[in-house]
Amino acid sequence: MLVFDQVGYYYLRNQEVLKDVSFTIEKGEFISIVGGNGSGKSTLAKLMNGLLPAKKGSVRLGEKTMADPKQARGIRQAVGLVFQNPEDQFITTNVTDEIIFGLENIAVPANEIGERVRSALQAVRLESYADSAPHELSGGQKQRAAVAAVIAMQPQFIVFDEATSMLDPEGRSELIKLMRDFHQQGITVVQITHHMDEVLASRRVLLLDQGTLAFDGSPDRFFRETPLEQYGLEQPFAVRIGQLLGWTGETAADWKGRVASQWSIG
Amino acid sequence: MVNRIKKTVIEQQSGWELRDVCVKLDGTPVLKHIDLTLEPGTWTALIGKTGAGKSTLARLFKGLIPEFTGEYRLEGQSMARDRKGRARVVPEIGFVFQYPEHQIFETTVEKELSFALRMRGDSSKEIAAAIRTLLPTFGLSEELLQQSPLLLSGGQKRRLAIASVLIANPRLLILDEPTAALDPVSRRELLKLLRDWQRNGLQHEQRAVLFISHRMEDVAEYSDRVALLHEGRLLTHDTADELFLHRSELLSQAGMPLPEAIELLRLTEQLSGRALNPASCREADVLERVKEAWNARKETGGPSDEPF
Amino acid sequence: MNRSDRLLVGQFIERESILHRLDPRIKLISLLMLMVVIMMLDHRSGYVAATIAVVVILLVSRIPVLFYLRGLLPLLPVLLLTLLYHAMLGKGQTILASYGFLQVTVEGIEEGIRIVWRILLMILPASALTGTTRPLVLAQGLETLLKPLSKLRVPVEQFSLMVVIAIRFIPTILEEIQRIGLAKRARGFEPSSRNPLSRLSEFIPILVPLLVSTARRADHLTLAIEARAYGDGRGRTVYRPLCLTKLDLAAGLLMLLSLSALLVLDDYLPHI
Repeated sequence: MLVFDQVGYYYLRNQEVLKDVSFTIEKGEFISIVGGNGSGKSTLAKLMNGLLPAKKGSVRLGEKTMADPKQARGIRQAVGLVFQNPEDQFITTNVTDEIIFGLENIAVPANEIGERVRSALQAVRLESYADSAPHELSGGQKQRAAVAAVIAMQPQFIVFDEATSMLDPEGRSELIKLMRDFHQQGITVVQITHHMDEVLASRRVLLLDQGTLAFDGSPDRFFRETPLEQYGLEQPFAVRIGQLLGWTGETAADWKGRVASQWSIG
Repeated sequence: MVNRIKKTVIEQQSGWELRDVCVKLDGTPVLKHIDLTLEPGTWTALIGKTGAGKSTLARLFKGLIPEFTGEYRLEGQSMARDRKGRARVVPEIGFVFQYPEHQIFETTVEKELSFALRMRGDSSKEIAAAIRTLLPTFGLSEELLQQSPLLLSGGQKRRLAIASVLIANPRLLILDEPTAALDPVSRRELLKLLRDWQRNGLQHEQRAVLFISHRMEDVAEYSDRVALLHEGRLLTHDTADELFLHRSELLSQAGMPLPEAIELLRLTEQLSGRALNPASCREADVLERVKEAWNARKETGGPSDEPF
Repeated sequence: MNRSDRLLVGQFIERESILHRLDPRIKLISLLMLMVVIMMLDHRSGYVAATIAVVVILLVSRIPVLFYLRGLLPLLPVLLLTLLYHAMLGKGQTILASYGFLQVTVEGIEEGIRIVWRILLMILPASALTGTTRPLVLAQGLETLLKPLSKLRVPVEQFSLMVVIAIRFIPTILEEIQRIGLAKRARGFEPSSRNPLSRLSEFIPILVPLLVSTARRADHLTLAIEARAYGDGRGRTVYRPLCLTKLDLAAGLLMLLSLSALLVLDDYLPHI
């Protein structure tokens, strides 16, 4: 499990970006992290795999503490990170080499690399693009390549830092499907997002408000209790129509599937 | 005097007209036989899957595509071409690229805003007046004028970039996904700002908008008309109401989703067994009808037996 | 966007050729030796023989010569400038024409031609190297050759990663320059100024956003590289280790012999 214990971070002194943030993420969870601009979301993502060291408090992954530089490789392997810009995280010149890059970094034996590359390509459905160069790929495909590069390292956690925000609807739904697949396989998924439908599809929401944790609970409760506009957010369609039409029960992300059953409830 | 009136009338009546336009890029046909007219004072959405040709079509209007076959008439006349027959950039059309904040280059906010006006030779008095009018609309304060644009926040940079196109008061404003990567509240505020700007055009200086977007909800909410592109061809060019309420099968044909409110409308119509006929495709009108139908079912107690 | 129809510097073109199959280290060392030898040539016979050698290399690469030539297009202004510089400002004797302090001399023209010729003789084989070697493999070759330097604390591994990234981003940055230029034109920018000073200042609207976005890109890349556990680049396994084959040794030997022959020809048969 990933533990944040009274974590604080600042880039410049006297300008704390994160203040006294504490929470625990258990294995197998599906979590959304939301917040307005300047809330500290991106900083939080980078603290999760040790890219940034906590300036106050500590971040621990199981037994390992992020502060220990010798553990860095192990931590980066265990917590994968997918960033927002598909272009700027593609390092090498084709998809296969991109996947190999991370595996060489964590010293996977050469005779295992081939198989890992194959299964990663399959997992993200990019088998026919194995030799494609980045400028031959769409934004969604580049992003899937980044996911393949991360998943090949066999992480336990994957953090998606606004990974869908630069994609078109097709690319976005492909990525959302991947997140769901990984979660079903037992990988812990953390998504930082401002898409409310994605938040609704997760199991737990953490809200950051100017560096502090302002909410930690279920999406349902989040949408009912939080003044969303204040954080640049809005209610997802499913919640709005649930309220408008008097739907009962917990709000489900897949509102279309529930329309028929809600209609027959008198 | 008569000539001037004539010119105004012609300008008012003519928009931007494409007749049988085809475009090839790197040998591949990207736009095929496009017949499309943008009317003055209309907000037209341009939709279609990635790769359907939207950006190319938008650039064509602006004169950024040097070679094309067919005709392009603006203000009643054929488009100007240079000696080699290549298209000329159209100055009266404003064009906002995707992620426009990535093209900012001046050293102060004021210089960035005034760039287009300086290029066309406006006096410094005219420029100052234009800036003064525009600043409050875009939520940028006067203090920012002498600052470096690189120090602004992401949202401010985008608004600055858009403002520096709008400042030239274009008769047609082309917006290529202006809300890309924005959070929900910023997105709504920006679209409202743009819609207000478009509507506030004067009687003889109507403002048209060509709006490229992937979000069908935004398209249904803000557009007067919708042009649907599919694999380089124009599938249809209808009013938004007509397309979303009565011809939505065209959207599926082009691989586009429906706005969520419209999907809910369809499902409700199926369950209730009757057509709901909202006043418009705007969400408020659609949901109003939906709500009525759902409230009504409580009285009838279940799906209706009436034929659709 | 497919840019494979032009051999930009660094663009790898997939073909079946002997050069494609050679170990990158052999190619790198050969290129270096070739460049050194070319710098040492003094006489016309040497230049002609070197030209023949370079043409042979280009042909063996199985990449159409047209590609190489198109890749030279961006360099034409520089080459022309170099030629003019030497023609007009060189220290020649036989004056053909003069404009004030600018004197066009025969010797100046000859010197200019020689220098431009030399530049071409060095650039073309370099293009052949990058055209026939995958960027990652090239970087690997560089890294292996420079390995001894790592004992002196030179970050050899990171240097080779830098080379890969630079090559990988060439198409991206070119596209970005195009887009920025388009945005400029869309805002009414007319690039037809005659004043050389303002032509220079015309670059600023492209340079500034380009630099800003490149800096931002570099930032993102660093995070991505770190996030995938690169560390300091040491202790990595190698999926495709380099190994020298008989072909490599034969090619290396052939290169050595050809270059020696070239030097001998240049010294002893200068005016063929």
